[in-house]
Amino acid sequence: MSKIKYSPILSYVLKRIVNFLILSFIVCTINFILPRCMPGSPLSGILARMSIEGASVSGGKAIVERYIKEFGLDKDLFTQYICYLRQLLTGNLGVSIMAFPDSVSSLIAEALPWTVGLLATSTILSWIIGNLLGTFVGFSKKKKINSILIIISLSLNRIPYYLLSIILIYLFAYVFTILPSSGRYGITVTPGLNLPFIMSAISHSILPALSIILVSVGAWLISMRSLTVSVLGEDYLLYAEAKGLKKRRIFMRYLFRNTLLPQVTSLSMSLGSIASGSLLLEQVYDYPGMGSLLFDAFEYRDYNVMHGIFLLTTIGVLGAVTIIDLLYPLIDPRIRYGGK
Amino acid sequence: MKNSSSRLTFLKNEYLITGIVLVLFVLSIGLLSFTVNPKMIEIGSCPPERPPSPEYILGTDSLGRDIFSCLTLGVLQSLIIGTTAGTFGIIISIIFAFISGYKGGKADALLRSIIDTFLVIPLWPLLIILRGYLGSLNTFQLGLLLAAFSWPGAARAMRSQVLSLKERDFVNLAWVSGESDLEIIFKELMPNLLPYVGVSFAQSFTWSIVSEVGLELVGLGPAGSMTLGLIIYYALSYGAMTSGLWWWIFPPIICIILLLIGLQLINIGLDQIYNPRLRRITGL
Repeated sequence: MSKIKYSPILSYVLKRIVNFLILSFIVCTINFILPRCMPGSPLSGILARMSIEGASVSGGKAIVERYIKEFGLDKDLFTQYICYLRQLLTGNLGVSIMAFPDSVSSLIAEALPWTVGLLATSTILSWIIGNLLGTFVGFSKKKKINSILIIISLSLNRIPYYLLSIILIYLFAYVFTILPSSGRYGITVTPGLNLPFIMSAISHSILPALSIILVSVGAWLISMRSLTVSVLGEDYLLYAEAKGLKKRRIFMRYLFRNTLLPQVTSLSMSLGSIASGSLLLEQVYDYPGMGSLLFDAFEYRDYNVMHGIFLLTTIGVLGAVTIIDLLYPLIDPRIRYGGK
Repeated sequence: MKNSSSRLTFLKNEYLITGIVLVLFVLSIGLLSFTVNPKMIEIGSCPPERPPSPEYILGTDSLGRDIFSCLTLGVLQSLIIGTTAGTFGIIISIIFAFISGYKGGKADALLRSIIDTFLVIPLWPLLIILRGYLGSLNTFQLGLLLAAFSWPGAARAMRSQVLSLKERDFVNLAWVSGESDLEIIFKELMPNLLPYVGVSFAQSFTWSIVSEVGLELVGLGPAGSMTLGLIIYYALSYGAMTSGLWWWIFPPIICIILLLIGLQLINIGLDQIYNPRLRRITGL
């Protein structure tokens, strides 16, 4: 290859980025093929909806012909694929088929903030709670409390959040009517930056968030506990204690720095994957977000909306992995940038 | 002597005992379905929305069905789904693990990339797409479909176990003494892999029972069979929560939760008995 010597950091970064681009391309191609493997076409969905709404069949046929032309569905797959790639490159996600003439971006822009707001907040909260409890359990010598905490979190962790949600809704929305059972905000408030709306949105998100937190805290707790215990057994910690370092310093510089790193990685992975939403949670709480949008897109075979959501998810997951790969050597000096 | 002491370890382990009791409790509910009068699950066979009473143990639903009868059938169907998915999932992952881990080479590279692809693909969208593609399914077929998704994690764990096992001395000895590959796999490796097989079975068993409920909640459950998911779905869509029919919506949920917690406790108990070193990790 070339004789020019790049710095190892630069070549590491370049390699990661190239890797990211190649993987994105492959996944985008899969995302193009997958929806087209489904039986039926976007137009059968439109026709079915029209016949339900009572439109005449011959008139419907004409409209469908227009649709086919409009969306380029009459061209062969390869042309469609090229068209799709060109759209992705220009950042234009196209027009939704099921909600014509809304654009895919506008549909996503409507749903995404709710999904991200709910899922990101509850993921981060459960991460914090789980890590605090995990560190406590790892440190504490009280066997009874530890066992109870671990058993409870392991058991909760097994329960699917949608079943837990039903119990929570029944308890908090019907037995004690303190929280709303469904929807994203009350019908009496007007969306916008006003206090009643924000309060209403928060109170509507408490139950869905709570069900995610209760279920996922356990996994963080268990992994944080085992990390804490294994770091506590390390020689360097013993040495730090023998040197007479302050407890606080040992805690922050020696313990946390080592236990939090793997946890941060896992957190970023789970944050990366929330863009596709959580269909079942949205279904149970009637909280329309990305999951419901994707499900509707499946129902109507709306290729463009599916592409848009898949693209976001792909970028989210791969982006999180790439960013972590790039940052890790900075945070953890034991990992080197591929050089010598 | 040795036998009785090991039996004592089993009986003394409270996690294991509690877990077994919970699982047996749910299993027996499922088995009761054979004694149930099939008339009771027909719509309109009972007065609707009756709270639990001696006549109707768990009350009746809005459609006039005896909920206890529905529940027993539902548990049985869910157990069938779980067992089907667990069994076939395990078979697939064992085959993958042995070809990949034991044979190695090109086959390993190929199978490993298949496993990794399956692990990366977003599961739910794919499941929904496939579910739409396949049309109506019965419980057994749904179990097969779920089996197709439940194996990759188990396959990867077992593969790495096979990789480490096949380098052990006893395997080398068997190889030197002229045992064939199949003999080595079934006589030497398999017995050591059994705990993994058990855990993986339990995992895909519970995963598929839970996924069936999830599919049912979005309206993609198996057609025409009374599963636990279907009971929950009906209860939600007929407003069991608004009208306070707790005896309709809670029994199926409680059955699933008891089953999940029971299996989890059995898992913890077995770990304590067979794998004392794990205590350091799980802290129990």
